[in-house]
Amino acid sequence: MTTVAGSLMRSLGAVAQGMVQATPVALRGVSQGLAARATPTSATWTPQVTSVRHRYHADKLNRGPLMKNYGFEDRLHTKGLMPHVVHGKRLPIPVYRPKNGWAEKRALFGQNDYIDILGDGSLKPTDVSYSVPYWLRGFKGNEYQMLLRKRKFFHAEMGKYQPTKLTELNKRIRKLYVHLNQKTKDYYWRKA
Amino acid sequence: MAGRLHSFTAVIRNFTRNVSTSKVSGSEIRHVSQASAPLILDEKFDNARNVVAAREAWVETLDANTSEVGMIALHPDVFAVCPRMDIIHENVVWQRKYKMVSKAHTKTKPEVRGGGRKPWPQKGTGRARHSSIRSPLWVGGGVTHGPRAFTTQFYMLPIVTRIHGLTSTLSVKFAQDDLKIVESLQMASDEPGYIEKLCENRQWGPSVLFVDDTDLMPRNITIATDTIQHMNLMPVYGLNVYSMLKHSTLVLTVDAVRRLEERILYHLNRPDLHKENATPFNKQN
Repeated sequence: MTTVAGSLMRSLGAVAQGMVQATPVALRGVSQGLAARATPTSATWTPQVTSVRHRYHADKLNRGPLMKNYGFEDRLHTKGLMPHVVHGKRLPIPVYRPKNGWAEKRALFGQNDYIDILGDGSLKPTDVSYSVPYWLRGFKGNEYQMLLRKRKFFHAEMGKYQPTKLTELNKRIRKLYVHLNQKTKDYYWRKA
Repeated sequence: MAGRLHSFTAVIRNFTRNVSTSKVSGSEIRHVSQASAPLILDEKFDNARNVVAAREAWVETLDANTSEVGMIALHPDVFAVCPRMDIIHENVVWQRKYKMVSKAHTKTKPEVRGGGRKPWPQKGTGRARHSSIRSPLWVGGGVTHGPRAFTTQFYMLPIVTRIHGLTSTLSVKFAQDDLKIVESLQMASDEPGYIEKLCENRQWGPSVLFVDDTDLMPRNITIATDTIQHMNLMPVYGLNVYSMLKHSTLVLTVDAVRRLEERILYHLNRPDLHKENATPFNKQN
């Protein structure tokens, strides 16, 4: 083993010496002038020394920023304009649709209100208020009075075709009677 | 005042005597064919209570070529009343309210669907005590004193107030040059453009109300104003304060003027007006 290694080393050394003697190698960290002064100058061989300038900062910049959080996907917008969340959505205001002020019912509003004065006197304004339900023409009262009037007009019809509604009406009348006559003062009669 | 009126009419009478042979009196209405002599309808209002003199207005036609046909005297108790703004306002408010039916309706606690069960026990839960989820305290619960359907605001103004409303509004219209007297509603053409142009040339406001004594109006004007929404036809019995204020210009025929005067003066001068004044609808409490 020693003989093999030794022979190998000797051969390598011989090669190295041969190489050194043949071509002068540029040594790292040694300037040209220094190398020239250090090595023995001979008439035949002038070693070439090249210097190396290390640009550590430039190299660092070239490598770029240090990679951190490898594999992490950043879903934030770090640059550019703010994104629109919903495009073109209006505020919840209803569309303005103006009423036709000169529609027939509005243009002729109030016609025949003075028919008892300007007509021959046989008709009253309540006789010609066709827009008002016939059971409410010429009537004003509180809810209790209104329901009594409704029952007076419609109890037969409701009994035949809307019995549940008639029952509810009667219940409401009874409840209002008790409320107005037994639970509250007289002045509530006007409000009820 | 009266002397000045007499002299003016005397001048016109002389003119008519020179021009035409027919005798023109106050009550006669001439036909359109006799266009040469002016139509003078000067009545002596002996029953007038008002101290001011009778008002006078031009009588025109709905003919684009003719301007004025004559002159008419208007009763001061109808057209020369000192206008009462508050009475006009009362009339307008009454017209709006007396036919109104409010159908706004809210459900009370027993009417709202659900809410029969007690939501949690009275004691032990630490929460406020409740007996139903539809009490007025709860969201979605019943409304205690909310509107209940078919609320009416019916009432009648005294007849005198309504008459004064009419006379005040007519006086206002006349004083502000918005009252035009027309011989009749006969028109030459049934085109809507014809009447629109006529009103524009004469500066009869954007909206015009034509009033005649009859229900059935002449054919041409009916067709012409049918499509124009702001020009409306009305009989005398349909006249009212709200319509007179809504339309800028009021155009009355001679027949309509005389009918109006007759009706209003009848009511103002009848001896049993106080009986009519009493409203037959009893007020509650």
